[in-house]
Amino acid sequence: MKNSRNILDETPFQTAGPFLHIGCMPNKIKINNLYKNDLGEVPFKNKNEIEMITVEGSVFDGNGIALDDVMLETWQCDENGQFFEDNGFARFIPDKSTKKFKLLTVKPGQVENLDGKNQSPHICLSISSRGLNMTLNTRIYFEGDDLINDPILSMIKNDKVNIDSLVAKKIKKNVYVFDVFLQGDKETVFFDM
Amino acid sequence: MNVKSLVKRNYKKQPEIDFPDYKSSIFRAPKNKKISIPSNLEIFGPIFNKKTIGELDNDLTLNFSKNKNSPLGHKIIVHGTVSDQFSNPIKGALIEIWQANAAGKYLHQDDKNPAPIDPNFSGCGRSLTSSDGSYEFLTIQPGPYPYPNRGIEWRPMHIHFSIFGESFGQRLITQMYFEGDPLINICPMVNSIADEKAKKSLVGKLDTSRSNIQNILAYKFDIVLRGVKQTFFENRQEGL
Repeated sequence: MKNSRNILDETPFQTAGPFLHIGCMPNKIKINNLYKNDLGEVPFKNKNEIEMITVEGSVFDGNGIALDDVMLETWQCDENGQFFEDNGFARFIPDKSTKKFKLLTVKPGQVENLDGKNQSPHICLSISSRGLNMTLNTRIYFEGDDLINDPILSMIKNDKVNIDSLVAKKIKKNVYVFDVFLQGDKETVFFDM
Repeated sequence: MNVKSLVKRNYKKQPEIDFPDYKSSIFRAPKNKKISIPSNLEIFGPIFNKKTIGELDNDLTLNFSKNKNSPLGHKIIVHGTVSDQFSNPIKGALIEIWQANAAGKYLHQDDKNPAPIDPNFSGCGRSLTSSDGSYEFLTIQPGPYPYPNRGIEWRPMHIHFSIFGESFGQRLITQMYFEGDPLINICPMVNSIADEKAKKSLVGKLDTSRSNIQNILAYKFDIVLRGVKQTFFENRQEGL
């Protein structure tokens, strides 16, 4: 049957597989003489480190094992709620020995929703790896912010969803922990957006 | 006011996330249903600068070769266009690819396949699409290879593709297969997609006209990212 609006189908996803580093961050696996830098090494250029926050955590599978072959990508606005074309994107993997990832970035500001309401500060996070037939999307909100009035969080709060999984816990000044659970009781909320 | 939003994703044309035939998905695929939220903020996304892309980044036959020695295997051209669901070409889309060498071996410490590494081949390339949405890579035909799944199984020949369009919500990671490869139909990763037409859209077609002109086998692989639509939104107190 012909689609009445005659739009094309989106190309389907396939898993990124275990060797995604070759294509996306070759310098990380010591393919060094190809690209000068891996893309997304730092989300913002020319920022003062003192004003930055650290978001760290692990990605756990259904056995509770922290994974080291996942790639995380983040996209966010700056501290004033402004989106830029050439800033705000980061790409990283967990450390091979500690299995922890670490994102050093600016705390995002508020951005306006369609209805003019402010969305609470958040970072968009995508996760790709072996075993994931599609890239997963979630959001990192921050403990200590006003999360009650966020239009997205208030929209989904009645769905018995694990809203806690979307909130990075503050462990000290400018340091947050955000663990991702792919399965289990603490399974992270993933979005279709 | 007019606002941009993304066409809702049609999951019937996408792979099943929880697909036990692909063993690695068993303990990694989330079990809960995804929560649907408006896409209006993921309409923004990173745009990559031409200056970051090197001249040989899309030529995998040269970008890692020592003293201009060719990698082993036969050369292929992989080309096509990136458009959105409304057939609008996407200019400046970043395509990153990675693949095994002719022997089916990745240049990666975690690849346990006992096949030889090719010192002149990294299997890594990238390119930005031109103003008409077109892209092109010169590379080597990747070999099929065995991998542990339900026992040992074989991956069909494939190239991994990662694509950034204009929006973070258009992000796509996929694989291109090669027309005529008998391993395609028995691959659990391919078969995680139920829709036959969607499955076929991942198969690069042999492009004989191009192959004959350049003396190099060419494959055409067109990529469609989610559509960006303009909708009128009345900015009232009550909102949506």
